[in-house]
Amino acid sequence: MAADEKKSLFELRRTQPAFRGLEAGHLACQGCGQALGARLVTEAAGPDVIVANATGCLEVFTTAWPRTAWRVPWMHSLFENAPAIASGIEAGLKAQGRLAKVVAMGGDGGTFDIGLQALSGMLERNHNVLYVCFDNEAYMNTGIQRSSSTPHAAATTTSPSGTERMGKRHLKKDLLSIIAAHHIPYAATATVAYPSDLRKKVRRGLEIEGAAFLLVHSPCPLGWGHDGALTIEVARLAVETGVFPVLEMERGDVVAVMQIRKVRPVSDYLKLQARFSHLFKESPEARVELEHLQALADHHIEVYGLRGTSPDPRDSEGADTVRRGGLRWA
Amino acid sequence: MGVKTQGAGPVTLTRGAFAHAGSSLGLKTGDWRVTRPVHLHRASPCHNACPAGENPQAYLALVEEDPHAAWESLVSANPLPAVTGRVCHHPCEIECNRGKFDEPVAIHAIERFLGDRAIEHGWDYPVGKPASDAPEVAVVGAGPAGLSAAYHLSRRGYLVTLFEAASEPGGLLRGAIPPYRLPRPVVEREIERLLSIGIRFEPNRRLGRDMILADLEKSFRAVFLAPGAERGREWSVGGVVPRDLRNGLELLQEWLSIGSLPKYQRVAIIGGGNTSVDLARVLKFNGVPEVHVISFRTRPGPGVSPDEAMPALAREIRQAIEEGVMIDDCRGVTRLILRGEQVVGVEMVHMKELPQRDGTRKPVAFEGTETVLHVDHVIPAIGEEVEPFGMEAVLGAHQFFPVDAEGQVQGHRGIFAGGDARLGGGTVSDAVGDGRRAAEAIDRYIRGVAAAAQAAPASIGIGELNLNYFDHAPRAGIIFLAPEKRNAETEIEAPLGAGEVARESERCFSCGECMACDNCWTLCPDNAVLKTTEMASDGSHYLFDYDYCKGCGLCAHECPVGFIAMVDEP
Repeated sequence: MAADEKKSLFELRRTQPAFRGLEAGHLACQGCGQALGARLVTEAAGPDVIVANATGCLEVFTTAWPRTAWRVPWMHSLFENAPAIASGIEAGLKAQGRLAKVVAMGGDGGTFDIGLQALSGMLERNHNVLYVCFDNEAYMNTGIQRSSSTPHAAATTTSPSGTERMGKRHLKKDLLSIIAAHHIPYAATATVAYPSDLRKKVRRGLEIEGAAFLLVHSPCPLGWGHDGALTIEVARLAVETGVFPVLEMERGDVVAVMQIRKVRPVSDYLKLQARFSHLFKESPEARVELEHLQALADHHIEVYGLRGTSPDPRDSEGADTVRRGGLRWA
Repeated sequence: MGVKTQGAGPVTLTRGAFAHAGSSLGLKTGDWRVTRPVHLHRASPCHNACPAGENPQAYLALVEEDPHAAWESLVSANPLPAVTGRVCHHPCEIECNRGKFDEPVAIHAIERFLGDRAIEHGWDYPVGKPASDAPEVAVVGAGPAGLSAAYHLSRRGYLVTLFEAASEPGGLLRGAIPPYRLPRPVVEREIERLLSIGIRFEPNRRLGRDMILADLEKSFRAVFLAPGAERGREWSVGGVVPRDLRNGLELLQEWLSIGSLPKYQRVAIIGGGNTSVDLARVLKFNGVPEVHVISFRTRPGPGVSPDEAMPALAREIRQAIEEGVMIDDCRGVTRLILRGEQVVGVEMVHMKELPQRDGTRKPVAFEGTETVLHVDHVIPAIGEEVEPFGMEAVLGAHQFFPVDAEGQVQGHRGIFAGGDARLGGGTVSDAVGDGRRAAEAIDRYIRGVAAAAQAAPASIGIGELNLNYFDHAPRAGIIFLAPEKRNAETEIEAPLGAGEVARESERCFSCGECMACDNCWTLCPDNAVLKTTEMASDGSHYLFDYDYCKGCGLCAHECPVGFIAMVDEP
């Protein structure tokens, strides 16, 4: 590439029509769902935001010393205290009479497990902070160890499949119910497969006065064992099978769900991922676990009312519709 | 913004600004890549299917924003869109990928909209005036093939003289297509505008009567022959011919030019082509109580291959049935029942075209299925051939011009032929395509350039699109005049309004061409897709920044239109 063209690409990058708080050159794996999710969140939040980041992949791959991919003020301290730091930032700004949006980010390890206590405190004190959890369902950064968010029957390095067990023995922690129990003004789930929906929820979470929580389903090609090109495909199938319900809650009550127009069998989602490959072997145990995961998805569909009744532009088929000229709805 | 300059570039201190030194942009993650995304133009199925060579994908992309630009794109292939938008059998819609998703895009209605819009607003054809010393080319026959050739030659800077045997241009558009399908003012205005680009039009000049081919060969650098097929084929049943036999095309032409028809009560028209169906409907509109169309082929429908179906357009057959025309398909006439020399009936038999041992297909009659149809007239409409008068030297013993792939008549350098007069021709759109291909070949012939051998690229299939990004939307409802309100003069199909056209164009999948949906730009985890309308030179709105692209392939997988391909790193 010629030098002048490189220069102009650099110019082009700084004059893109949307603000992106997470810049290229970060060290996420090919097809990383979390890198995409974090960028979409900063895109919706805009430049006027301060980010507190828990330890995890996101923190590691965006800040290879001495460089940073962040274009917004960003702070990392420990695995467990991103909500506490965000609370402090918010309180400090308030004391100074200054206005800025505060976003805390963590992975499922930092949110479901290690930082849960601090998160609960932040929600209980109702700090005006949006907490975003990028849920890739295991400790990917340290080598794919199971977390309390790892789904049942998924293989990780600490929950391998073998003669005794078919992957993880326990169920995925029902974090949404824990969040709901805090009766915060706004909580939602979103996925990288539906960027418009995700951005809308970030804006809504920031605009509401008080604590808001957003769970973003973020496929991990390395940990889940799928091609990086299929990240969106996998995330979309998680929604279409009922594995990952997309919804909004206010004061702990579900107020909106993304309906599934065409419910697909859960095996469509599972078979793309190596972490579930043991479920497709011919064995009674594999069959039991496959049916178990199907039942869990059916349970989601039932309790959250995910099955669509008639085609709707906001349902699983309509929400990602694109138009000539890029006129997405959010 | 507090900007200081330090070393290589600006350092910006304000939040949300563009940091340079210390930013991750210093880490060129592009060197992880083993495959890279590239933009790849693919042929849309509608483009490959169009006999006239139109690219509907291109004008559907433009029609909402800029109808004039859409029309210019359209007429770069077909100068007669108001005509073909009405009479074409639109194979583009048969091949449309959207048809495998819900319903095909109503391409013909948009083509017609653009054609009508151009006539209404008087848009000039994008053709410059030829130089006064430009090479001269003769075109014989001002039907769709001749008009198309004259137009495309003018576009290439040639001086064109267009000879026509009749007093007015149009060929079969004027002489054989009834006005309820193609209103006369549309033909007249479209052709008048087309001729005004600087084509020298010479009416009342029939080859063999008013001029001879050898003279044309001397006076012009090349000749394009598009005289059409005017002479009805010989017809009899076992050598028997009724006394007052009239040919189908001849009757249709007579009615179109002077408005008269013989008085019939019960008529059987033999043949399953457009002439047959058109005449049947005209007779019906003119009060003939019982009209039959007899064809040994079957009526078109789902699951019927074009080889087995009657050659008339499916919608024309459908409308004819609505109007009360009886279609006796899979039937042949084995005997005429005569009282004296007057027909009182025909003996019909079940027939089917079946493959023979020698590989050809032949209609086979099934014994024991004979029935009698009581009619007072039989009209053959079994196809036409070239009237050879004046062209014997080129035609030889053939019924149609034998042409090579270039459209050049075999064994005659500098003489090209197309339209219905060419073996294998048949539709208006084929004729328009012949005219364009011949114009290209004549241009190469005069400049002494060999044709570049290139196979047409395969169309992009529906499996190569990502349909998750499209939602179902019903095809525009086109309104047809109710059968009881129809007559021979009033157009049956209503046009779409501008709003409906815009909505319909948005249903286009844009197969194989960027539709600027922002998907790659939105979904790249590495911010390696940059949006730009100025710097992207390939018609897309995006550039890949290979300094940072890790080659994950997500953009290619999620591209709705199949415009991104992953290729190995060089």
